[in-house]
Amino acid sequence: MNAVPASIARSPDRDPITLEIIRHELVSIPEQIDRNITRTAFSPLINEYKDYAVGIVDPEGRLVSQSRGSLLIFVANALGTAVRDGIALHGAAAIEDGDVLISNHAGTLGQHLNNVVMYTPVRVGPERRLLGFFCVLMHWIDVGGSMVGSCTSTTTTEIWQEGIQFRNVRLFRRGERLADMFRMIECNTRFPEMLMGDVEAQIAGCFMGRDLVAAIADKYGAATYEAAVHAMWDGAEALARAAIGRARAGEYEAHAFLDNDGINLDRPVPIGIKVRVGGGRIAVDFSGVSEQLPGPLNAGRNGGAVAAARIAIKYMLSPDEPVNEGDFRLLDVEIPEGKFLSARPGAPIGGSGNMIPTVVDTVLRALAGAFPDRVAAAHHGTYGVHSFHGISPATGASFFHLDTLPGGWGGSAALDGYGPSRSNVHGDTSDVPVEMQEAFHPYRFESYALRPDSGGPGRHRGGVGVEKVYRITGPCRVNLKIERTGCPPWGLEGGGAGRTADVEIRRTDGSVQRVFKGDHALAPGDRVILRSGGGGGYGAPRQRDAALVARDVRAGLVSPQAALRDYGVAVRENGELDSEATARARAAQPGGEP
Amino acid sequence: MRYLVAADTGGTFTDVAVYDAGAGTVAYGKTLTRYDDLALGVLDGLAATGVALADAALVKHGTTHVINTFIQRSGARTALVATRGFRDTLEIGRGNRPVPFSLEYRRLPPLVPRELRFEVGGRLDARGVEIEPLDVAGLGALAAQLRALEVEAVAVSFINAYANPAHEEQAVAVLREALPAAYVTAGTLLTREWFEYERTSTAAANAYVGARMRGYLDAFEARLAERGFGGRFYMMGSNGGVLSAARARAQPVALVESGPIGGCIGAAEYARALGLPRLIAFDMGGTTAKCALVQDGHFDVQPVYYIGGYDHGFPLKTPVLDIVEVGAGGGSIAAVDERGRLSVGPRSAGSEPGPVAFGRGGTEPTVTDANLVLGRIGGSAFMQGRLALDTAAAAQAIAARVAAPLGYHGPDGVDVAAQGVLDLACATMAGAIREITIERGHDVREFRLFAFGGGGPLFATILARRLNIPEVVVPPQPGNFSTLGMLIAGARIDLSRTVVAEAAGEAAARIEAAYAELEAEAARTMQVELGTSALSFERVLEMRYRGQKHTVAVPWTPGQELATLLEAFATTYRRRYGNTNADCAVEILGARLGAQAAIPRPQLERLAGAAGAAAANAVAVRAVYFPPPHGRLDTPVYARAALAAGHAVEGPAIIEEYSATTVLMPGDRAVVGALGELTIRCAP
Repeated sequence: MNAVPASIARSPDRDPITLEIIRHELVSIPEQIDRNITRTAFSPLINEYKDYAVGIVDPEGRLVSQSRGSLLIFVANALGTAVRDGIALHGAAAIEDGDVLISNHAGTLGQHLNNVVMYTPVRVGPERRLLGFFCVLMHWIDVGGSMVGSCTSTTTTEIWQEGIQFRNVRLFRRGERLADMFRMIECNTRFPEMLMGDVEAQIAGCFMGRDLVAAIADKYGAATYEAAVHAMWDGAEALARAAIGRARAGEYEAHAFLDNDGINLDRPVPIGIKVRVGGGRIAVDFSGVSEQLPGPLNAGRNGGAVAAARIAIKYMLSPDEPVNEGDFRLLDVEIPEGKFLSARPGAPIGGSGNMIPTVVDTVLRALAGAFPDRVAAAHHGTYGVHSFHGISPATGASFFHLDTLPGGWGGSAALDGYGPSRSNVHGDTSDVPVEMQEAFHPYRFESYALRPDSGGPGRHRGGVGVEKVYRITGPCRVNLKIERTGCPPWGLEGGGAGRTADVEIRRTDGSVQRVFKGDHALAPGDRVILRSGGGGGYGAPRQRDAALVARDVRAGLVSPQAALRDYGVAVRENGELDSEATARARAAQPGGEP
Repeated sequence: MRYLVAADTGGTFTDVAVYDAGAGTVAYGKTLTRYDDLALGVLDGLAATGVALADAALVKHGTTHVINTFIQRSGARTALVATRGFRDTLEIGRGNRPVPFSLEYRRLPPLVPRELRFEVGGRLDARGVEIEPLDVAGLGALAAQLRALEVEAVAVSFINAYANPAHEEQAVAVLREALPAAYVTAGTLLTREWFEYERTSTAAANAYVGARMRGYLDAFEARLAERGFGGRFYMMGSNGGVLSAARARAQPVALVESGPIGGCIGAAEYARALGLPRLIAFDMGGTTAKCALVQDGHFDVQPVYYIGGYDHGFPLKTPVLDIVEVGAGGGSIAAVDERGRLSVGPRSAGSEPGPVAFGRGGTEPTVTDANLVLGRIGGSAFMQGRLALDTAAAAQAIAARVAAPLGYHGPDGVDVAAQGVLDLACATMAGAIREITIERGHDVREFRLFAFGGGGPLFATILARRLNIPEVVVPPQPGNFSTLGMLIAGARIDLSRTVVAEAAGEAAARIEAAYAELEAEAARTMQVELGTSALSFERVLEMRYRGQKHTVAVPWTPGQELATLLEAFATTYRRRYGNTNADCAVEILGARLGAQAAIPRPQLERLAGAAGAAAANAVAVRAVYFPPPHGRLDTPVYARAALAAGHAVEGPAIIEEYSATTVLMPGDRAVVGALGELTIRCAP
């Protein structure tokens, strides 16, 4: 719990206990609304996968609090960016009680058009003083464009191919529905019934959240409410400052690359990052990243560079505290316009989220110089988006199922890598159960298993990825956006790299296609095999306790061949450690002593 | 056969309550929990009440055995048999990371390690239609392998079994025959809902504790039989109702929070009787402190329970009281580490060796030792003098292991150190109360703190101050309150049927048909388990807009019109979520029935205690330490039994009774109510 600055704690109605209660309530309200949205939404993308975020911002769009399970990429800055643009367009006074606005505007948000921020003002008292906005960002299942699912095409060359844009337009005016706008949304999606149900959940979340926040301000007074918000920000900033004070000051850099932009398949996308830590601030400099790309792997400045930098420093500075604007006051983001993480309006950005995990990983790698004991080796580094679509045999209607791959995370100074789990910019995002998918879609799972030998070798082994095998039972299509297959999840301090993601489509005629991107027709009997990457290892593999290697072999996570090759550990057929053979193998390895 | 018995085996104490149906009175027995033979501890407690088991019609038993088995990871060597391709479901889970921004995030390891997770051929589709028959030959070979691996328990969980349990039933039969000594269970024996991870996790957990629980229940029933018990034996379920021993053997996960539930049943009963709309039920025992909310006389039950918590733990599909628990109890050990930092708990001295003051070999000071040293509890008052406490030994342990390492010396130094131990325990408990109130969106100041358990009344007024809670309520017999709650609990069965229908046309007839079936089934079960078919029913329909996944619960009355049902759905939905989707069709997804059978039970008015003298005098005066600015104060000690309704006591004061002590801080004022409860206004 953060100390409340003395200047704020003086007045009797702003005692530390009251401020602390308000803080807890403001953190808890988005959680309550989060649960309500899960329960009321219509698409599995929302009610199981949980691709949405709930939060409160102040009248200037500064983040007050946000639901903990929200995707981190939304946590960073999306809500406030939308609200600030709305205020610039309309003026705060013109956004009245009961107004609800939406925005997915590419030029300001810089994220794929499915991400639609909805918000409503929170006003209190006889003067209807504006305290801020209650916001719900939701991934709309489809907003038109050239490909089902909208953000799914890997070959768009301009934003207008990716769907419809709403730039801070009203859905409600003073509590009255604007039917015209609802009709417009309905006509611009391939899944009107599902989307309109999700939108109703989003609207209800905004109104209920607004009422809960207003109730607090009514109870404690607007001034006390504002004092509590400032205390939250100041507390977060103080924690960040303390963490920066413990870091090794200096300039550090790191490099990685993405596979391609979907158009020029043989041209990797370089990511060069510099961080400067010192003088009580952190600067993340993205000027070494690729120019804006012809294909849809771009993001705008807010959805790209700013989001990635904010996520990375939150990992380093105060990961255990709820997120708010104060976390980012000491951060400077540097990027010229026209880079792939600061794309100009009009650029294709369908893959704006998919590549951020690798960008965050690279920023963290650079930060390893300043926080040597904190940073882990690289993780699988991508969403691993794969979507099945076609006609559902259960309902006869068209279906679209977007899924992502959990994978391995990197080992660290203290621990083996974790996994499989989602990327470093996902929140509490869950697999849609196999049983639910099989009930509605024309495929079955032949397996969903851990992927042996995918974790990078190291004193602390990288976490393993997964392998999913789909057997197609009716005609449908699979849309793939698998990234990070060329730049393996790196190890640290002598640890080896993890395996990269992999996809095979095995046809009934015995032919095998290895593809990572694009939309592919499937016929009954075809198999789609998806493998996610593992995490990088930490420390030299030959320093790993041989007994742990033997345990991994018994569990089937490391093959006996890899144990000998990577770790110099010999394991007998019965799973027991062969100590003598291990001693010989380790002595023979480069670097000598076991 | 006039007695009803409830017995609660906790981490430190075993509590027994006996209701004399003839006289309408309740007697209590308390003994230290005997880890070598938990049943003997219960029998000792019963003996203390002077009731012979042969005269008991009914024994209800609550136990922490199941949850302890999970927490201590002391369950059976368990294997999982899964559909080919799915042995890793248990480890992959849902692939989510509940804790954001953490590179250190780790989930608790699965209960069944990968080397004991096996696969077998056989596949059903989502409608339950067989695509590939179960590989019975392969299963036979696997059984031989499991025997060679000395597996004690086996969980079976197959993909799509929720739609058709035939393969699981077949596999269970094969494995039970091949492995007669092993405990064999299956996901669909526990829940018929879809979602393979949650069902598999529930099956694995049930197997993991099943073998231990079976042994426990066998031994317990044997002990009861030895003493001539011829009545009915029930276990306390986590949902607030009791279940038969046979059901407990098959579904031990239904007992996961068997212990704490009794106190909540009791708290809800007092809340209704006293007309208190909002209570925090706060129970502090020997090992942990727990809290739950009681609002309008009801506590919340969650359909999914996470062992080890949602962030890091794993799910059980079983209804459980919504509770927050922390490792702070009377037995929590205080220690100073090498960097000079004081910690209290979660390590507990339990009953063996127990606090230093028990003189049973304990050397590490505990919260109870600190309370004794400060005079909050009396050396001879504990368990009415049956357990003499060694104050000097407790003081010496605190001096040596807490005060000296922190740089405090002399008697005053011991007082400061002991107070520090209590402060730290308080901070932990206050955190739990904040979690269940503020973090669930409630203002803690609008609740009363309803304190029970051996330690609850000792800390209640201190905690209330810390949390700005104005009023504390201490029921009669707080040290036995959990067992009293068990005596009050009825038998309860929850049954459900899937009825997918649009709420139109003939739906009402289908609902009535489903309830006719469910009620008949409940009546049969209750007849077998309880010998009664006099049941009361709660009927609730699970309803949603077509296309949604989650449902809201809407009560159903036999003979009701669909129009009023739809109205009720819209009202409930709007209240819960703030809107309605007027254009969407409404579906009924399921019919749920809660069947309750009344069991003879105590009347609260008769538990109020002796009418006592109009004005009770202090039985003693003791020097009790209170935090600065007070220090040691000469404090009157009252016997609670002598305090009649309407009597008031001003703090500082100590109110002692069998197995519990209530502390009034300076400025507090306690009034005795009509049901014998103490209502304490806390000075700010």
